[in-house]
Amino acid sequence: MGQFTQLNEDLAIAIGQERIKTDQAFTARYSFDGLSPRAVVFPKDIRQVKEIVSLAAKAGVSMIPWGSGTKKCMGATPSGADIVVSTEKMNHMLDVDVANLTITVEAGVKFRDIQARLATQEDRCYLPLEELGKESDELICSDRAHSGCFLPLDPPFSDRATIGGIIATNSSGPRRLLYGLPRDLLLGVRFVTPEGEIVGAGGKTVKNVSGYDVSKLMIGSYGTLGILCEMTLRLLPLPERMETLVFEFPSISEAGSFAEAMLRTKLLPAALEIMNSRAFEAVGNRAGIYAKTGSCLVMVALEGFEEAVERMKKEMLAAGDRLGANTGIGLKEDKHNPLWLAVGNIQTFNSDKNKDLVALKLTYPLSEWKEIYAYCQNLIAGEGLKHTILCHAGSGVSLINLLPEDRRERDSTVGLVSGLRDKCREKGGNLVVECAPPDLKKRMIVWGNIGGAGILMERLRNAIDPSGIMNPGRFFPTN
Amino acid sequence: MERTELIASLKEILGEENVLASEMDLTLYGYDASLEKGRPDAVVLPGSTEEVSRIVGLAYREKIPVIARGSGTNLSGGTVPVRGGIVVHLSRMNRVLEIDIPNRTVTVEPGVLTLDLQNLLLKKGLQYAPDPASQKVSTLGGNFGENSGGPHCLKYGVTTNHVLGAEVVIYDGTVVWIGGKCPDHAGYDITGLLVGSEGTLGMATKIMLRIIPAPEAVKTMLAIYDSIEDAGNTVSAIIAEGIVPATLEMMDNLVIKAVEESVHAGYPMDAAAVLIIELDGMADGMERQAEKIFDICKRHRVREVRLAKSDAERAELWAGRKGAFGAVARLRPSYLVCDGTVPRTKLPEVLGKVIQVGKKYELPIGNVFHAGDGNLHPLILFDERNREELSRVHKAATEILKICADVGGTISGEHGIGTEKLKEMSFIFSESDIDFMRDLKNAFDPVDIWNPGKVVPARQAATA
Ligand SMILES: Cc1cc2nc3c(=O)[nH]c(=O)nc-3n(C[C@H](O)[C@H](O)[C@H](O)COP(=O)(O)OP(=O)(O)OC[C@H]3O[C@@H](n4cnc5c(N)ncnc54)[C@H](O)[C@@H]3O)c2cc1C
Repeated sequence: MGQFTQLNEDLAIAIGQERIKTDQAFTARYSFDGLSPRAVVFPKDIRQVKEIVSLAAKAGVSMIPWGSGTKKCMGATPSGADIVVSTEKMNHMLDVDVANLTITVEAGVKFRDIQARLATQEDRCYLPLEELGKESDELICSDRAHSGCFLPLDPPFSDRATIGGIIATNSSGPRRLLYGLPRDLLLGVRFVTPEGEIVGAGGKTVKNVSGYDVSKLMIGSYGTLGILCEMTLRLLPLPERMETLVFEFPSISEAGSFAEAMLRTKLLPAALEIMNSRAFEAVGNRAGIYAKTGSCLVMVALEGFEEAVERMKKEMLAAGDRLGANTGIGLKEDKHNPLWLAVGNIQTFNSDKNKDLVALKLTYPLSEWKEIYAYCQNLIAGEGLKHTILCHAGSGVSLINLLPEDRRERDSTVGLVSGLRDKCREKGGNLVVECAPPDLKKRMIVWGNIGGAGILMERLRNAIDPSGIMNPGRFFPTN
Repeated sequence: MERTELIASLKEILGEENVLASEMDLTLYGYDASLEKGRPDAVVLPGSTEEVSRIVGLAYREKIPVIARGSGTNLSGGTVPVRGGIVVHLSRMNRVLEIDIPNRTVTVEPGVLTLDLQNLLLKKGLQYAPDPASQKVSTLGGNFGENSGGPHCLKYGVTTNHVLGAEVVIYDGTVVWIGGKCPDHAGYDITGLLVGSEGTLGMATKIMLRIIPAPEAVKTMLAIYDSIEDAGNTVSAIIAEGIVPATLEMMDNLVIKAVEESVHAGYPMDAAAVLIIELDGMADGMERQAEKIFDICKRHRVREVRLAKSDAERAELWAGRKGAFGAVARLRPSYLVCDGTVPRTKLPEVLGKVIQVGKKYELPIGNVFHAGDGNLHPLILFDERNREELSRVHKAATEILKICADVGGTISGEHGIGTEKLKEMSFIFSESDIDFMRDLKNAFDPVDIWNPGKVVPARQAATA
């Protein structure tokens, strides 16, 4: 198409030919959901993003912002994907203000690099460095006396994901129980609107009510309101001590009683993760921990002051005994980090083995989790499907991976998705399909229930992206 | 629509007794805790969402401004009707609708007073964390509107971190729920956008808040200093040392003296500054944290550190802080509170500059503020009747906000923009930043009836 050739020429002038890739062998690497972009561009900073978006908007071509592609399948299939805008080259940490407990980074910075930069000693990194292939020594900063700090998030794919992608998808993990969500950590943003304007909001202060809280709006917006380019996040000092407890229970009933009892105490675990044995197998293997007897496992993350961790460990191990655990073990920091990294990577482990994986995120009011867990397990087992369940107890979120092995099982996922969603909805919750093979995804409802606020969301989307060129169709099939 | 007709229509919706329109009423509802003034056409006291919805429907059809009002304690002109219209006073909608302990949520009507809710929860061993110093009189609707902070927000976050959802009446009177008990709602975080929007995007008629277990242990300390720089440096040193206390509040000598004269909190009259430092959480390890803090204070030449040994002693230390604005207000007829916020490490530098501003404009300035958040509250004291003094006050306030903006801070940490800080928005935002906010406003309020003239500055004429 002539219009596209013209756009390529304009882009080359604006950002340089070397930042534009159009050969098919290359762009094919950026295909998803059965779509292949016609070009992939690599801006070096927010100004170049502005140039790109302005030109693309003028030409009316659709854009897909892209971090490292770990979540490319999330959301409904876009109606167009002409240009992928990769943040890969926007990988600078602009302001590491450890004394102020904030960091400002470009969108393409890898989450793991932030953690490595913030830890003062290698072995104190919030992600285990050996898993990271030890990028470079200079990542480790040592400009402070105590043991460093960290960005208190533990999203899935944390060894590969970029911070821009994490924020754009409102990604979080088990330790949200103690540390909260991206919305509790993001202080400021700079992004490029679908019309090519640079917009900033928020800043470096933990309190800020100057103007609308635009940062909140960008969290979980899946690139539909603009391309996130820079963000400022709040940090915490690294916990003095980190340990993991692993309990094996005969069934969800005992595991559930244990988790509920723990959530009623004054103890403050960082995470309480309940999983089926297949999930633990995938996770535990990575750290050389093998389940023996339990069908339901509970992993508890303890992070905090020495004394507090010690007490939580003692009281929880005793409670496990009392409440019917087959076994309960305590694991030190060297196992703690790899284990939790593996929890976040379970979808990767599963998809390595099964290309037909269907990943679901179930959300519901906290109190409903036990019933939902049991229901899911029965319904899925009824179809005979292999699956993993990770339940963030105390947070109202479960992640299920369905692993169909033949055609019948594959087909059955469509019915399972609607059955599971019905249950969630009955309990006041929802189910989102986070990943599915393109043909199956077409047969599923991806977002489920958006609720009454949908009217406001559409108005918003139409106001910000009137021509519908940013990730069109991710949220709303109408544009 | 004629005013008499408007009032008649409102009376039809709300009943005679819930529509106020006397001269006196209109004057009373023309101001709030800021220095701004205006005048509504009518004041209404709805008793239900349905009534609010009908009022807004009427306002939408007739293009009449609607201004939500809780207790009117906001400090930025947020409830001042600058273009007339209907003030919706939500004081009658003051029921706690549900306390759901298994789901850790509480659902309230917007007129519930912050402290009333907190006291109710405390009886059950639970807490709603955000605690604006005005909590005795402020409403949860007002807290929602302003995204209020408070002393304990250093550790727990501000109002928005505790709002899970809300029932909102939108521009044409339609009622929708945003957010709710289920986490991670699909779609945009509309709740996050509405909190702190000062009633310019919609009106909350029910609010769902997160409740958390009250902490197991609390330790409160008062650190007394002979120099304000030392106190300021202590604050950044504590944070930089990797300790995040629940509270880090600071008061300077002017405030200490005022507080002692009215509340008698036991602060030494000759101290240059005091810090209130509070730790909370699990009891284990707290002793050691407290010692670390003692050490840091000592390194910064603290005169004395007092530890509250009982609940009564703790309450006494806090009484001084909570009564500080009131105490200072007794010194001169009027005061203006600035709300500039800076990265914590800039505190000592900025405090020094604020003192300079006071000298330059010959105005007494007291400082009582949320130091751990870098949230300053210089209180400029003056006499409103003195026009010349008033104009110096506005200049001084603007200069202070400029200082905050220039060190990478912002013009409001928790009190909001309202009308008061519209002109300072350009200190921190470019025209395209503000345009984006205008687009948002437009999407949520196509006929510009929601609290017009607040938060988002009108587009400048090309010459300006
Ligand atoms: C002595 C004193 C101390 C203070 N201390 C603090 C402090 O420590 N921290 C702090 O953050 N603030 C503080 N404030 C400011 C003020 O108390 C807060 O902003 C408070 O939240 C306002 O509550 P209100 O009920 O008075 O709201 P109002 O002043 O009535 O309204 C505030 C804003 O919210 C909007 N609004 C009201 N109800 C609704 C609704 N239902 N839906 C949508 N919008 C609505 C209004 O239109 C207005 O814009 C203090 C004020 C005083 C006078």
